[in-house]
Amino acid sequence: MIDDDLLKMMPEDLESRISWDNIQEEFGSTEVVFIAFGHEEENIFQPEALAKLWDLSEALEASDWVDEVTSISTSTRMDNYDGFMEIDDLQLYRNLSQEEVDDILTYLDKNEKIKKQLVSREGDYFIATIKPFDSIELVGFVAEIKSITDSILQGFDIHYGGQAYFTGIMPPMIREDVKGLMLAGMIIMVIILLLNLRNAPAVGMVITVIMLSLAAMMGFMGWMVHLTGSGKFLFTLANTSMPIILLTIANSDGVHVMTKFFKEFRIFKDKRRAVASTMDSLLIPIFLTSITTVAAFLAMTTSPLEPLIGYGITISAGILIAWFLSSTLLPSLISLKKWDPNSKAVATKSVFEKIIDKLGKVVLTHPKYVFSTGLFIVIIGLFGLFKVSVDVDMAKFFKKGSELRDSMDFLGEKMNGTVDLRVRLEGDMKEPETLNSMIKLQDKLADFPQVRTSYSIANVVEQMHRTVMDDDPAYESIPESREKVNNLFTMYSMSGDPDDFSTMVDYQYSVGLITAFSTNLTTSETFEIVESSQRYIDQFFGKNLKVDFTGMIVIIRDLVNLIIKSTIVSIIFSLIIIGFIASIFFKKILWGILAVIPLTSAVLMNFGFMGYFGIELSHITAILSSIIIGVGVDFAIHYIAQFRRLSRTIVENKLSREVVDDVGYPIILDAASNMGFGALLFSAFIPIQYIGGLMVFAMVSTSLGTLTVLSALAELLKNKLIERNTP
Amino acid sequence: MRILLLLIMSSLAVGQSGQEIAKWVDEKPSPKDMSNTTKMILTNSKGKTRINIMTSRSIDGNKKQIIWFMEPKDDRGVAFLKIEHNNKDDEMRMWLPAFKKVRRISSKKKGDAFMGSDLSYEDLTNRELDEHDYTRLDDATVDGIDCYVLEIVPKPALRSSYSKHVSWIAKNGFYGVKEMSYNKRGELKKEKEFSYQRMKDYYVIERVFVEDVQKNHTTEVTFDKINVDSGLKASLFQEKNLKRLPKD
Repeated sequence: MIDDDLLKMMPEDLESRISWDNIQEEFGSTEVVFIAFGHEEENIFQPEALAKLWDLSEALEASDWVDEVTSISTSTRMDNYDGFMEIDDLQLYRNLSQEEVDDILTYLDKNEKIKKQLVSREGDYFIATIKPFDSIELVGFVAEIKSITDSILQGFDIHYGGQAYFTGIMPPMIREDVKGLMLAGMIIMVIILLLNLRNAPAVGMVITVIMLSLAAMMGFMGWMVHLTGSGKFLFTLANTSMPIILLTIANSDGVHVMTKFFKEFRIFKDKRRAVASTMDSLLIPIFLTSITTVAAFLAMTTSPLEPLIGYGITISAGILIAWFLSSTLLPSLISLKKWDPNSKAVATKSVFEKIIDKLGKVVLTHPKYVFSTGLFIVIIGLFGLFKVSVDVDMAKFFKKGSELRDSMDFLGEKMNGTVDLRVRLEGDMKEPETLNSMIKLQDKLADFPQVRTSYSIANVVEQMHRTVMDDDPAYESIPESREKVNNLFTMYSMSGDPDDFSTMVDYQYSVGLITAFSTNLTTSETFEIVESSQRYIDQFFGKNLKVDFTGMIVIIRDLVNLIIKSTIVSIIFSLIIIGFIASIFFKKILWGILAVIPLTSAVLMNFGFMGYFGIELSHITAILSSIIIGVGVDFAIHYIAQFRRLSRTIVENKLSREVVDDVGYPIILDAASNMGFGALLFSAFIPIQYIGGLMVFAMVSTSLGTLTVLSALAELLKNKLIERNTP
Repeated sequence: MRILLLLIMSSLAVGQSGQEIAKWVDEKPSPKDMSNTTKMILTNSKGKTRINIMTSRSIDGNKKQIIWFMEPKDDRGVAFLKIEHNNKDDEMRMWLPAFKKVRRISSKKKGDAFMGSDLSYEDLTNRELDEHDYTRLDDATVDGIDCYVLEIVPKPALRSSYSKHVSWIAKNGFYGVKEMSYNKRGELKKEKEFSYQRMKDYYVIERVFVEDVQKNHTTEVTFDKINVDSGLKASLFQEKNLKRLPKD
């Protein structure tokens, strides 16, 4: 099930999520879709445009998905005519004369706060805000409103935005993206495997293991959603990378088995002996690499972000299935086929094997030099680490020039904000002190240039006060007594719709809601607005008023904090677990430490590169460290297992050379096959592209790190590591 | 005598058209004036309630009505005067004691809610016979009361907020027992139930229950201390009287 609702990612006990849920309960859905239509720099206040807005509002209100439409066509006006207080429709009927249109504009000019919600800043686009019914499925909702809007507003520039829109539009995009990525990943992988294994049936066997692992993993995810009903197992944007990652991990196991088999077959010329020797040599390393990779991904379960927990569990299940199939199905398939010992694939070394020969010579002749070079690169990476910024700006997930990004940029620039901040206030909403506090807080928010508009019941009280006092602007203020405020509400109730205030104050006037909208914000701007407003409340608000902040601005602030926490915790946790497992299996703490050195270096360099290239840490890219550790650990495990195995039979001065010769080729082939990660570069989502690029880099750094830094260190420390007497 | 007339009319109704039944409903005897204490309980979809208690005086079948708000305490002293006109917009005035001002209010929308309730001004206004089309449906029984069932369709000129109503009219007394009202899209909007008590020669309403089925909001209005034909004077229905809360 595909769902990319940011709210569902947040822990249920998070303060801003609790406040959000309370607001949804009291005031209905606060996730909305904005529709802006018009023509750039042309006055939208024309009778034809208002007739279209009328049609659009009527059609949307008639939809079973739509709870409420806010537009000029559905809004009311409050006027004072010769002592009459009149509440009436802002647009009385569909077809207006130009004079009537101008009258609407005059009214809106007089009521700026209302105008900001209904018209773009330059007056060239009308805005309709669409609120869905609670708990409906947003994909269908967005599809419905797009279909209605596109059919009615032909000939106009139409732009969509708002959190509900993105939550609704993302799943189909994710589905399409995953399909494309899978195809690209498979093509890349098949090409690399064919180039290196040079044997189509061998490639087919590896691909069989991959496809079965993938199908089993996706099935596992579906069953988990079905059995637990948990949001952790929903397929979000973050999960887009998951199939490609399993594809490369499953491929890694297969490549090791296949290349080892060819090497053994070249020696023994006997299929059965070669398979037996291959599995004898690889069964434990493959098991160990799978276990350590699983450990790295299970570290994601410590994340406070719900989808990352599901991601970790699901991909761990996929890895275990891939291990099982590589250890059982793949040797069986190899045993079933007749192999020609004189075939090119078996008899001759591949390009990668030749490269490994040369690399081995360099590393083992100059271990200190190689180690120092590696260390130098890591230190350079470390400086970049301090430049890493955290950002969850959804607009930046899409390429500039794409329809969605253009729409988001347009709405950010032209409208009066699409990112909401909600302030829930518990107190007496008829008390002038409370209402004045709300106005002051709104003024405080308006001090931030990014906050374009805000509204609350206090603004309505000001407007009613002015209307009752013969439309004198001097009275556009909160009356001085509770009785007067109450009189205004009672008077309004004599003719206004009781639902008019339902998005601003609860039924018993004990909870109020301030809604502010800002442009797209950077993380630092988000923190500044929320924290500065919170300080203001702490300083100036009385204790009889309980105030909670929420809305996308706060949710994003909290998400950023959770991402940082999640990334640090999962890195530390997975490195400790992997070090611990390696220490236990290889019976030396030093091996545990050496196993995590290439990984730590790769993770540090990854974040360093992110800092240098301005790639932001988001809830999507936060997953990178776990992937790097999970996939990269395989190289170290294979190296260490072979070092220990050969150290029992090979003389000391030839040991490292033999180990590099033996595992170097499958490691490089494995890393090359993992270039399937490069498929992520074809994603429609920028953070997924970043993951692809950084993973390609990480594969190079961890594989080379193993064959250079780890082998150099092993060479330097071989006296402590050789286990001749170990049975 | 009036009761006897009603019984005769009721026996004559077999085979009568909807229009004729509606005419009898319109012509049924009604009090010259009425006083009562009105309690209105509004309940929203989440079960939260608001309660208002008012004192009401009316003449001419509610065409002139004055209401003083007694409870809640916040509203005490607020008063409302309505005078319906046949050929021009109704007059509505409101006394706001905190402002010490009388304000005229106007609502051009017939569908607007009266005091935040589920009753709109259109629901509260007497239906003019010539502004609707009446079709008689099959008779039915509601809570043991034999009823005529009428489908009432507002004529376009009325600019009603409803597409139609289905009304259950007690055969014995020609008072409405139940009504279902449909919005412009033809969807059920409101269900209304009425109960009456006999006073003098009249069936006087003592409870109205309305549910807006689309908003899941209800309004229950009960009438207490009902007094009919007590000789209220037309001079009561003036702006100056809004400021004076009645003693009883």
